[in-house]
Amino acid sequence: MSTVNLSRRGFLRTTSVVGGGLVVGFSMSGCAEAPYPIDVMEGGYLPNAFLQLTPDNKITFYCPRDEMGQGVTTGLSTLIGEELDFDPARFDIAWPGVHSAYNNPDMGVQATGGSNSIKAHWTQLRQVGANTRALLLEAASQDLGVPTANLSTDDGHVVANAKRYPYGQFVATAAGLQAPEAAPLKSVSEFKFIGKEMPRVDAVLKSTGTAQFGIDVDIPGMVHAVVKRSPVAGASLKSFDASRAEQMPGVTDILEISNGVAVVAETYWQAKTAADAVRTEWNDTPLSGVNSAQVRADYAAAMAGEDGVVDKDEGDVEAGLAAADTVHEAEYWAPYLAHAALEPMNAVVRIEDGKAEVWSGVQGVVGAEGLVARASGIDPENIRVHNAYLGGGFGRRGTFGHITEATEIAVATGKPVQLLWTREDDMRHGVYRPASLMRIRAGVDSDGRVTTWDAKRVGGNQTTTTVGNMIPALFPGLGDGVADFAKGTADSIFTSWMADPSSLEGLYEDYDFEHLKVAHTTVDHGLPLTFWRSVGHSYTAFAIESMIDELAHEAGIDPVELRLMNTQNNPRLNNVIRVAGEHWKKMQPSAGRHLGFAAHNSFATDVAEIAEVSVENGQIRVHKVLCVLDCGIAVNPDIVRAQIEGGVMYGLTAALHGAIELEGGAVKESNFHNYPILRMNEAPEVEVIIVDSGTDPTGVGEPGLPPIAPAVANAVFAATGQRLRSLPLSLNA
Amino acid sequence: MIEFKLNGKTVATADDPNTPLLWVVRDTFKLKGSKFGCGAGLCGACTMHVDGTAIRTCTTPVAAVAGKDVTTIEGLGTPDNLHPLQAAWHDISVPQCGYCQSGQIMSAAALLADNPSPSEDDVDAAMAGNICRCGCYPRIKKAILAVAAGELAYDAATHPEVQA
Repeated sequence: MSTVNLSRRGFLRTTSVVGGGLVVGFSMSGCAEAPYPIDVMEGGYLPNAFLQLTPDNKITFYCPRDEMGQGVTTGLSTLIGEELDFDPARFDIAWPGVHSAYNNPDMGVQATGGSNSIKAHWTQLRQVGANTRALLLEAASQDLGVPTANLSTDDGHVVANAKRYPYGQFVATAAGLQAPEAAPLKSVSEFKFIGKEMPRVDAVLKSTGTAQFGIDVDIPGMVHAVVKRSPVAGASLKSFDASRAEQMPGVTDILEISNGVAVVAETYWQAKTAADAVRTEWNDTPLSGVNSAQVRADYAAAMAGEDGVVDKDEGDVEAGLAAADTVHEAEYWAPYLAHAALEPMNAVVRIEDGKAEVWSGVQGVVGAEGLVARASGIDPENIRVHNAYLGGGFGRRGTFGHITEATEIAVATGKPVQLLWTREDDMRHGVYRPASLMRIRAGVDSDGRVTTWDAKRVGGNQTTTTVGNMIPALFPGLGDGVADFAKGTADSIFTSWMADPSSLEGLYEDYDFEHLKVAHTTVDHGLPLTFWRSVGHSYTAFAIESMIDELAHEAGIDPVELRLMNTQNNPRLNNVIRVAGEHWKKMQPSAGRHLGFAAHNSFATDVAEIAEVSVENGQIRVHKVLCVLDCGIAVNPDIVRAQIEGGVMYGLTAALHGAIELEGGAVKESNFHNYPILRMNEAPEVEVIIVDSGTDPTGVGEPGLPPIAPAVANAVFAATGQRLRSLPLSLNA
Repeated sequence: MIEFKLNGKTVATADDPNTPLLWVVRDTFKLKGSKFGCGAGLCGACTMHVDGTAIRTCTTPVAAVAGKDVTTIEGLGTPDNLHPLQAAWHDISVPQCGYCQSGQIMSAAALLADNPSPSEDDVDAAMAGNICRCGCYPRIKKAILAVAAGELAYDAATHPEVQA
């Protein structure tokens, strides 16, 4: 049994039932009294930051993580409901504002990402549920005059002498008691909800149009804004002509903001139409004039040149290659990609009487708060952030430039404003998955052991821009100069001193190499970069798992056997390869279809995938994908399956279609006609097998993605004999 | 003024006749279930029924629906009175982020009204205009085929989250 060590002051102690307004309690850090940024209901009682109980036995769960489709509201309410003994489907779910009580325990900030929400809250929220249940039992014992030993619970009720009493009946008494800090937790065999099949708690809202996304927020007096930005990222405005736009119906304000020209109107459509009529001129930046062909040529030159940073150097790769039976070398390419979440970026900001409110679906409300503070000069204490459902995240909603834009407009106009990006804005003014050129030289000995791995990546560093965006958001008090200095420092560190871990992750860790060298050279043309679903793994897995397949063919060894032989130091990965390998041996694809295999560890989860592919008239078609994964205890097995299915589809869009290209420094793609997304008629059947290892949960939002591109490429090789080493995969290249 | 029926009720708007129906429904009539995804008829998030046909309302001027019958996701079913497709979406846990699902369901409802027993290929063809960035396609297809086959018997009483 594990417990979490929460300080005595860690829990909110509300000593009376509160009627309204903000509750005052103690912050988790214990350093100051701070209000929890949630609304207290009539008769509501808050045993801690995560729950509010009312006498009618409704329980609200303040979900500390952001719901972007990964099922976190279902997963986290399952953790707390399991120990509270309350059906997770019956919680009302609400978003808290910014408070350290809701920090991601694995990150130390109030942010969502890295596939870690279940893993990070696994112990904490079960403990909160158990402590609250124990508190309610103590209150019931006092109210009913029955010793706690003679009490039990059943789905939101205390049971005494075979009678059921709703939890809500005991909130007044509970409010006067001290909650225990380490109530015992259930063993796995006692779980009623964890590991069981249960529909998502948000499925009805999301099937009836009643789930509120950021874009759906509509407040009284709200005006609408559309911003005209530079086609080349980071360019400053030289001049603009809004004379036509000013005359257009509904337009109320046209103003220059830090990122372009904002057009404000009574409706979105009026603002959008008028923004189309604004003419702008922009100054040049180093990115101006850069084309995709130049990016690739610059990367190739850097690959041939000296290593920027040697990240790993173990054994002796030259000696290893000299001694190897089979030596093979290849280069792999992955382009820039956009996240293309279906809900375009948007935010509502209202500034009134020295206070600010912001509504936006983001992967980190604290960042939104910081940027509102920075752009408005209002103290964070006077800012309330309202989160919403996210219409897709994938890493994109961890960068909050739209919040700054909306705040600047609200400050300048004095009106509550909704800023909405068009799809074209979203595609062309985003933050992107970095392009990568990767080269691997490898050696296999006569026993089939991959002894030697010499790998190098060339490309930009996504952590730099992400940190550059986070610093001003997390530290609104820092001057712009300091934030820029910190970003510049990160830049130079990753160029000359150490590799950005996100740049290289996944390029070497899975296999038992005796001689290992991993190098990195930073080449960054200035397109803003950030984390994109599965981050570095999204491209490194393509290189490593294609190379392993190539080595197997060169050495005349079955690719699954080669993987099994060379993953002895990663027993959990080895096991999923073994389980998938049993299917691999038995699978008999119908005529014209071929199989490809790949496996990868990311976000502490091991996944093996088999793709069944056909190639007709140069067209690659993926018919079926079998996935085997070990993610520890599957809190909600159906959501695990859904996340793996979704990761496969997201990865297939990248494998078959995805590329962001530069022309004159500007992103060429603009909408779904030239940045196509996988559609239903291209979507394979996906079968997911969860290996139950019984260990604590690990990530599922991202790990399904990395193996799919190499699995498909390896199947294309089996089908055609052609080795495709560039993404997106194309037989015409 | 342009008049049309919105979920069975006659409404009138003074919006510019070129305004896309999507924005009239969202901003003038405050029904937010239909979503904006691309503004170019490429993703299907804005799908509504006009006289029973599924159309992309982000590129349909409101003038084009004068005198017609417009149905949105809100008119198809509600949390306490789900359309069979919505019930299937719940039972199969179709949605992930959920942003595209109003449009998906409206396309699916139009398909089943036209063709109560679609083949898998019919489903692919009818749904190819609706993007799901989360990749819920296998479940969307499964839910449509299950409803067509009458395989789902949704009982709201067994789903506590529906009754709020």
